[in-house]
Amino acid sequence: MKRFFQFLGKGLAVLLLTMIVLDALYTVVYKQSDDRNKISHLYHSENQQYDVVFLGSSRVNNHFVPKYFNDRGYKTYNFGITRSRLEESALMLKLMVERNYVIDTLILQVDLNINTNDHSEAIRSLFMPYLHQSKTIREHYKDIPEYNELLLVPFYRYMHYDARIGFREMYASLVHKETNALHRDGFNALTKNQRPMVAADLSKYYPKRNKAYEEIKAVCKANNIHLIAVTTPMCMSTINREYFNHIQKVYPEIYRLEDAVTDDQYFSTCGHLNEKGATEYTKAVFDQFFKPRN
Amino acid sequence: MFFNSLHFAVFLPIVFLMYWFVGQKSKINQNYILILASYYFYSCWDWRFLFLLVFSTLLDYFSAIQIEKSDTPQRKKLWLWLCISINLGFLGVFKYYNFFAESFAELFTAIGFKVSPLLLDVILPVGISFYTFHGLSYIIDIYYGRIKSEKNFVDYSLFVSYFPLLVAGPIERATHLLPQLKKRRKFDFEKAKEGVYQIIWGLVKKVVIADTCAVYANGIFENYNSMNSLSLMLGAIYFAFQIYGDFSGYSDIALGTSKLFGIDLLKNFNFPYFSRDIAEFWRRWHISLSSWFRDYLYIPLGGSKGSKLFQIRNVMIIFLVSGFWHGANWTFIAWGLINALYFIPLMVLNRNRSNMDSFQLTLNFDSLRILINIMLTFAITCVAWIFFRSKTIQDAFAYIYRMFTEGHFTEQYFKIERYTTELWSLLLIFVLVEWNSRTKIEPISGKYSWVKMSFCLAAILALGVFSDYKEFIYFQF
Repeated sequence: MKRFFQFLGKGLAVLLLTMIVLDALYTVVYKQSDDRNKISHLYHSENQQYDVVFLGSSRVNNHFVPKYFNDRGYKTYNFGITRSRLEESALMLKLMVERNYVIDTLILQVDLNINTNDHSEAIRSLFMPYLHQSKTIREHYKDIPEYNELLLVPFYRYMHYDARIGFREMYASLVHKETNALHRDGFNALTKNQRPMVAADLSKYYPKRNKAYEEIKAVCKANNIHLIAVTTPMCMSTINREYFNHIQKVYPEIYRLEDAVTDDQYFSTCGHLNEKGATEYTKAVFDQFFKPRN
Repeated sequence: MFFNSLHFAVFLPIVFLMYWFVGQKSKINQNYILILASYYFYSCWDWRFLFLLVFSTLLDYFSAIQIEKSDTPQRKKLWLWLCISINLGFLGVFKYYNFFAESFAELFTAIGFKVSPLLLDVILPVGISFYTFHGLSYIIDIYYGRIKSEKNFVDYSLFVSYFPLLVAGPIERATHLLPQLKKRRKFDFEKAKEGVYQIIWGLVKKVVIADTCAVYANGIFENYNSMNSLSLMLGAIYFAFQIYGDFSGYSDIALGTSKLFGIDLLKNFNFPYFSRDIAEFWRRWHISLSSWFRDYLYIPLGGSKGSKLFQIRNVMIIFLVSGFWHGANWTFIAWGLINALYFIPLMVLNRNRSNMDSFQLTLNFDSLRILINIMLTFAITCVAWIFFRSKTIQDAFAYIYRMFTEGHFTEQYFKIERYTTELWSLLLIFVLVEWNSRTKIEPISGKYSWVKMSFCLAAILALGVFSDYKEFIYFQF
């Protein structure tokens, strides 16, 4: 039995050592990769100066065309990430502040994402490689249930979020496999058009006060960032468009722009504009809040 | 409580320590500890089903004693059939009732009578097919006088409920397991070490091979209408590796766990995808179930005696029943039927036992022939797996039809943000490791075992699927 316990002890030591080595290896790779997604890009950049930054979900990622702003004299970047919720947008903003970004205006998408105070596991995972390095990320996640395991158990974070930052993504980062996430200053155009278009159903949606949105407002105020919160277009056949009326009851400062583009030809799906629609919508936003500088 | 869960990782060391330190003095203590651990293990799924397990154990225990005590053949037969009927009755109600009710309703509707079936809202008790077959083999062995009935209820309960095999086998035989439970087990370092290696290799098969293949196979099967021929072929291959990794991985963990307690369980898999024909495949796949059907159904039906027609009937019956054992769905029956259709030509030509020997591959034409046979057997097995995996028979036929007619063989990027061809290298490495260690129980032991173990641990950690947890497939049966 003594021999068996010695054998198990050695086995556990090998296991622990393997976890430490793998954790170090993955972290080194992610620390050297800045071109796989917007979070790695943000983490690896410092002292950036932007006139306008966009934050939100796919309804930012696919809807705001930075070129339109850039051509009119505003340095702009689209930091919208598909599947991101406001909680992740708040962390991105705080990370920008940590990385000494200077931002004049933040355009934040606040519409379907205030139906919930929940977070996105898929996007949360993308912050995890930098958990030890970034105080902002640690502070942001210090109250989540598995925080101690994520921080203290070697390699746990990469196992827990293996679908997003596991071996496949580590390998892709190692070989600098290209993605289109950072092309066109972060704008990802949708090219396919769903026909016939399936109506989005918002009948179970109801806007609620959102902790992350409140936090974003506080960060903007503290850092002198002009915040413009907007709704983004949904096709006219959307069930329960009343939802947008309720948004303004909860947060009157939010600008109603869900009707800025209405024709079905501009929609890829009911909740997402195609490239032409995105340009129309960006123009509408620009015209409402900005004036050309050149 | 799954074998690959944190709960089990805590449970197992506790039972191990109690077994060898508190219970080591006598077999009685050891068995008490194992039975309590087993009942706790089972109650973690759903404590209510513990009553069913205990009832089934009591039924078989008392029936066996009554069969042995009966002085007339009629009485013996009465007890045997009573016990079989009650056991199969439970299985029927929990597993098959809704299937039959719906099938009859569909049949009546098809001939013009609208019938609304009365369906039961019941959950299938985990492991019911396995422990029912355990009990049945024991009862039938008693009836035929192959063994004496077990008078010690604790020992018998442990035979039925022993936690490593309780929920998904292997389906043990009283002749093999009960004698081991009748004596005190002494700790054997080599056996325990082999058990640890087998557990680790089982985990590699489950979390690295099966669960990774599952991500791709699910993505392909659930969107087969938009997949091209190559992707559909890969989908079938991925599922073949998924189910093999899942079930043989489970069996390895079960056998390895049992070795930690000094108890050997029946081998359940013997590298089935290296079979040269379908008959050899069935001697290597889910061995404990195949041999159960052979001993308790095929041979009593007459086996390979009698005319060819009679033999064909027997083969059909056992494959159909085997398919039906897996689940109450026409897809499983179709899977059994296809395997019967593969098997019958071999039997008619008296070639079903022509690949009983072991083989080596060298650089000659005979080896090439063997290799081609292995690949052909694997290919037809994959076609049968399509029926096993599909939701309906129609889906299976549509999948196969599209696989052979779609005509495009390019790499596809599909909804789960992966390329369909990504798994090739992983599966190739797995096949090479399996091939290289096919004369052993697991590939870790032997020279450089620490290096191999480190690689396996690293593979589990780095390549395993943890965020999208998948149950063992055979738990549903």
